[in-house]
Parts: sequence; C-alpha cells; structure tokens
Amino acid sequence: MKPPVVMDCQNFKELLDSYLCGELAVETNHSVLCHAERCCACRGEMSARRRLRASLRSVCSKEKMSDRAMESLREKIRSEAGVGAGAARTGDGGGRRGRFAGLFKVWLLTPAAVALLLGAALGLYVLRRGGSDDAQTQRRLSPEQINALELSASLMADSASSHRSCAAHSADAAGPAEMPDSVREYDPACVGLDKVAAAGAGGLLLRAAHVCKFGDRKFAHLVYTRGGGPVSLLVTVRDYRALKSGAPPPFSGLSLGPQRFTLDHIALGAYQTLKRIVLVASNLPEDENAALAESLARPVVEHLRKAEAGAGLEEQGGRTMRIEDRGSRIEDRVIALKAILDPRFSIFDPRH
Amino acid sequence: MEQNDKLQRLELFEAEALGFSGQLFRVALRVCRDRERAEDLIQETYLQAWRSFHRFEIGTNLRAWLYKILFNVHYSEVRRGRLELAPIEETIAETIAYDPPTPQQLTEEEVLAALERIPRDFQVPVVLADVEELSYREIADALQIPLGTVMSRLSRGRKLLRMELANYARGAGYQVAN
Repeated sequence: MKPPVVMDCQNFKELLDSYLCGELAVETNHSVLCHAERCCACRGEMSARRRLRASLRSVCSKEKMSDRAMESLREKIRSEAGVGAGAARTGDGGGRRGRFAGLFKVWLLTPAAVALLLGAALGLYVLRRGGSDDAQTQRRLSPEQINALELSASLMADSASSHRSCAAHSADAAGPAEMPDSVREYDPACVGLDKVAAAGAGGLLLRAAHVCKFGDRKFAHLVYTRGGGPVSLLVTVRDYRALKSGAPPPFSGLSLGPQRFTLDHIALGAYQTLKRIVLVASNLPEDENAALAESLARPVVEHLRKAEAGAGLEEQGGRTMRIEDRGSRIEDRVIALKAILDPRFSIFDPRH
Repeated sequence: MEQNDKLQRLELFEAEALGFSGQLFRVALRVCRDRERAEDLIQETYLQAWRSFHRFEIGTNLRAWLYKILFNVHYSEVRRGRLELAPIEETIAETIAYDPPTPQQLTEEEVLAALERIPRDFQVPVVLADVEELSYREIADALQIPLGTVMSRLSRGRKLLRMELANYARGAGYQVAN
C-alpha cells in the first residue's frame, strides 16, 4: 500500500485500522501520525477506534468452550493417538506424572536420550554464555522463527499507555523510590528490580517503583526521569498475547537483540528472555531511546536470565515455554489509587 | 520406540496446539453462530490437526496452521451440506458510502450486539484481525481468499460495525462526532 503524498482526513480514516493492526509500511505510519498530530478530530477518531478494538477483544474473550467440550476434545485426541484411557485419565496430575516417569526410564537407555541431553547441555551452555553468542544464534534462526518472536501490537499499545499514565502520575514524585517487596506476588524475579537496574541507570533519577496494570496486562514498572522527561522500564510476562504470532516460541528471544517501535510519540525498545519481556519507553527519539534501552535493560535482562536458568527454565530440545506461562496468577486485589487518563488504568499494591 | 515418539508428540500437541483452542473457538462461534456447532467444529479441527501434526514443522506458525485447518474443515462441512451456506451479502456493504465516526462511549453489550449484526463474510475477518490479531496475510491464507479480498472485507466489515454502533449511540443519545 503506497502512502498518499498528502494525507487528508479521508485517507487517514481509511488507513487508520490498518495502522492500528500494524499492517502499514513505516513511511505510511509516519504520515498517519503526522496527520493525527495536526488534526484534533482525527486524534479523537484514533482513540475511539482503539477503545472499540479493546472492547471487541474484551467482549469476544468472554466466550469460552465448556469444560465438558474441552475434556471431550482431549479424550478424542488421546483416543485417536491410541493412548489408553487408563494412562491418560488416572487423575490429571498423577496420570501424567506416572506416564512420563515410565518414559524417562526408557529414554535413559536409548542413544536418542543421550543426544537429547547433550543438546540440552549445549543449549544451556549457549544460553549462559550471554550476549556474545546472540549474533551466532540469530544466524541459526529462520526468517519464520524470527517472525515468531515479533512482539504484538497490543503489548506495544499497553506498554506505551502504561508509560504515559504512570509517567503523568509519578514523574513529579519526590523520589527516591524502591520496588516494594510485595512485587514478589506478581513476579519473584522482580524483587529488588530498582537495585538491579541501577547498574545501567546512570544519569536517571528513579521516581517511582510499583506493579501496575493496563488493560489485562501487568507490569513491574520503574519510572525514571532524565532532564525532566519520563523514562519507563517495564517487565512483563512473555505470554502468548505478547507475541504477534500468538505462539510461545521455543527459543530465547534475546538472540534477536532489541526490537524498536514508536507508538503515539512514545519510543519503545524491547528485549526478550525465556519468560519475560523487558521494555524501555520514553518520549525520546527512537534512536536515543534504543541507546538508553541498551544500557538500562541489559542488567535487568541478564538478571532475569539467571533467575530463569536457576528455576530450571533452560532451552530444552527446542521448546521451553508452556501453556501455564499465559499470565500471572496473582489475585486481583486491586486498589485503584487513581484512574489517570484512561479508566482501564490502575496502580495497585498487592499487599492489601 | 514408535510409541514413545507418539507419546512425546501427543504431549507437545497438547501443550502447544490445545493452547489455541480458546482463540479458535471464538472464531468458530462467529463462523457457526451456534455454540454446539462451534464446539463440533473445534473438535474436528483438532482431530485433523493431530492427524497431520507429524508433518508440522516445529518453530513455524502453529496458530496460522490451526486456523487454516479450521476453515478447511468448515468449507468441507459446507460442501457436504452439513452447514448452510451463508448468502453472499456483498450487496449490503456495497451500499455503504458514508463512513460513520466511531462513537466515543460504548458498552460491551452494544459492541457485541453490533458485531453480531454484521454479515458473517465481514464479521469473521474483523474478528480475525481486530480480536485475534492475525496479519492480513494470515487471514488470507486461513480463509483461502486473495489478500485484496481480505482488505476489502475488513474495510466494509469495520465500516458496518461503526455504522451499527453509531445507530446505537444515536438511539442512546451519546455523542457522535461529525
């Protein structure tokens, strides 16, 4: 789709949905944003369509298959696979454990198991050696695999909105701040996040540290200022909604290096670990934000990789992420301190 | 050994492919407009997916692959006469020249009601793009229609949705910008 030379309101409205879907070329995105900057009515239309998309997602996601249909589906697949009902159905957890314990014994005796263990050890070695292997790993990824790691538009939008909302609320806070220990309930790896990030936060002043929520996504969030402008470091779960492919990919995203975006004048730089995504957001130009992300996110990414390796989350046999990774299990005991800019936004303290 | 491979493949299938059942079901519901039929469609889709799973290349787009199977199954059911074929409703959308602005205040019930009033040919691409976040190319592959047709159905579908919503908003006295 070629960008129109001069974008008018009509062109803007025609391209707006494709812009929100991330389907436009970079230069067309730019034209769309330039027009929105100049035209108040079109900015209003952009917000209204964003809200409509969020509303559509919310209303559709309430439709779920019945438990009975889901169980029947599992049974049919197992029966089709020729797996005895006894093996598959002797209690959910117990049956699976029993079956795989047996499998493990057989595997130990096979050369395939040896090869697999060697592969896992090599994966772990590559994972732990860090950044220097990233480029090498990237060369091994196919274009499809690289595409599979592309972050979703919804994650970008939620991150940018969280940055915008928290920055408005926290940039004037007196500081210094520290991440409350209650962050453990959201993500234990984020305890002391401010101290971990301090290694790369030279020249930044920490104003706030909290767990916040935008839409249905939660972030461990550090808000800094630099020269009066807000800078956010956000850590969130790398679930299926975080990636454009909608699939949990079977390899570490770190090998890709940072992904860069600009959304509504907010620049975002994102790194992935096996379980999480670390984003740096600011109102700086994209290049400047990327350089800042490089220094600010790296110690956090390395810390998270170590925590994940310690929790046994290695790359094994080509896949790591599991369905359970879909979202945080924290109970939503939300105390909305303030609804800022957007009614869906809230900051909460999990201790209460 | 063969049995072990199968168990391993089954475990992989259950862990990875079944995770998309919620998304697929939402789309199946739009396609069938009936809960029970949608559940049947999902069941058949997953059975066929399992039968071909040994050919699936791990690391490629599993979600897109599953959607493609879902629509394959759906089209075969339509061909076999098990499902009624929705009439082509292009003419309805052809008549929309006016692009209504999106209302600023909407309830989820109104959004759902408006979505359900859109003809199926337009509703499904809108849900695939705006709810499930498939790329236009993935939608074209899943629905087995040209990319240009996807874009035109999306454009008309979204316009119809806005029109329905604008009607609701006017009825409720909400502000609709001109």
